[in-house]
Amino acid sequence: MSLNITCPICGVRNGYEFRYGGEDRGPRPHESTLTPEAWCRYVHLNRSVAGVQREWWVHREGCGLWFRIDRDTRRNMQVREPASDRREEGGE
Amino acid sequence: MFGRSKRLWKAPNLQSSYDAVIIGGGLHGLAAAYFLASRHGMSSVAVIEKRYVGFGGSGRNTAIVRANQRTQENLPLYKEALDLWPVLTRELDFNLMFHKCGNLNLAHSEAALKAMRIQVASAQYHGIDIHLVDAVECKRLVPLLDISDRPRYPIAGGMFHPPGGIVRHDAVVWGLARGASKLGVHIHQGTEVTGIEVREGRIASVQTDKGKIHTPRVLNAAGGYSADLSSRFMDFPLPISVLTIQAMVTQPLKPLLDHVVSSGAYHVYANQTLKGEIATGAHMDPWPNYTTGTSARYIKHQAEAVTELMPCLKGLKFMRTWAGLADMTPDMAPILDGNDPVQGYYVNCGWGYFGFKSSTVAGKYMAEFMATGECPPILEPFGLRRFERHRLMGETAALMEYSANN
Repeated sequence: MSLNITCPICGVRNGYEFRYGGEDRGPRPHESTLTPEAWCRYVHLNRSVAGVQREWWVHREGCGLWFRIDRDTRRNMQVREPASDRREEGGE
Repeated sequence: MFGRSKRLWKAPNLQSSYDAVIIGGGLHGLAAAYFLASRHGMSSVAVIEKRYVGFGGSGRNTAIVRANQRTQENLPLYKEALDLWPVLTRELDFNLMFHKCGNLNLAHSEAALKAMRIQVASAQYHGIDIHLVDAVECKRLVPLLDISDRPRYPIAGGMFHPPGGIVRHDAVVWGLARGASKLGVHIHQGTEVTGIEVREGRIASVQTDKGKIHTPRVLNAAGGYSADLSSRFMDFPLPISVLTIQAMVTQPLKPLLDHVVSSGAYHVYANQTLKGEIATGAHMDPWPNYTTGTSARYIKHQAEAVTELMPCLKGLKFMRTWAGLADMTPDMAPILDGNDPVQGYYVNCGWGYFGFKSSTVAGKYMAEFMATGECPPILEPFGLRRFERHRLMGETAALMEYSANN
């Protein structure tokens, strides 16, 4: 399957050079107030959006940078428009 | 033979209320509908399917059935599923083309063989017919195999599971759809769910593009789309990653491969269909995706792996390649749950690439769950809260992180 990803340092590269790093779930929750539900939500639960989602990638076979992109999972393409209904920044 | 063939199931109008609404006209949804109607007398059931029945994973899997899972919780479920094929063939009066040819799973090292020993012991404990075999026995079972030292990973032995085999997946879809329809279940194809309404912690209605349906219970059996649907309409995210899994078939040959052969080390499985094609697959691109695209690199890999194990297949041509969506959980075990925290909301998803072989038995017990409101004991370990309690199941040797490939 073909996928091109734009690395902020290296530019447009073949998707197989990268490793998917999961959905952007916001910052790691504070451990002092952590409940099992919140931890489970942060560790395991995915919104699995069929559409545009914001997600982490790492340029594993390149510069090693971790960065976020918006990708349309129905078209398997990086997109410019941001994920519209993604969870607000800030997390738990 | 002459004249127009009759439809196997009816196409009734959408009613404004049903006792149960099942989202997804795949095998899991149809099986649940069939068992609700046949075992629990609940026939006011609607199956809502966005495309047509069997469009998704039900018609895209490689039709292999087996019961050699790893854990105590999973094994009884898969064993019962295996025992159900002949029963359903009779009951549905539909030839499901169950070909009980047995599965041979290869090990390529002493360590892998030792790991198989525990798997074999667990399965035998549950009364499942399975045993270890050495390399010579593998060769006797599948004469095509190269058991010499030539392959990069020579064959050390394997486990043979005689009651497994292949079932014609479309026949199961059609048989269940006809069976359910005969008992009064309404199958609505080309109908898309656009919302689910919850009132005071209970399911109230399902909105579709053809109208609103009032119902006290909904089963999410939408396969690859179950997690998207659950988080979009219910704000109920699931621990699921949706990945595209690929398969392909070669040109047809005379019968030469009598068993399903699989190898974890080569990441390949192969079997000969009743039409004579060698069906093979196993690869998935390692990022979430709702396309069903295929990859040249995997076709190449598949050809290399198959011919490394069975060199006489060199030169064969692949005829077709396709892909389907797999809803993967971190522990490779499904999520079967209901009434928690929303009364009347049931989920049957997260089967990954085990959804075909388990479809009928999952439908049977989900139907019981929905009809009685009580979780059948066999399904209790599969609740969503196991992730909160860190009680993940050991269906894989190591937990899956689909992004991890380092």
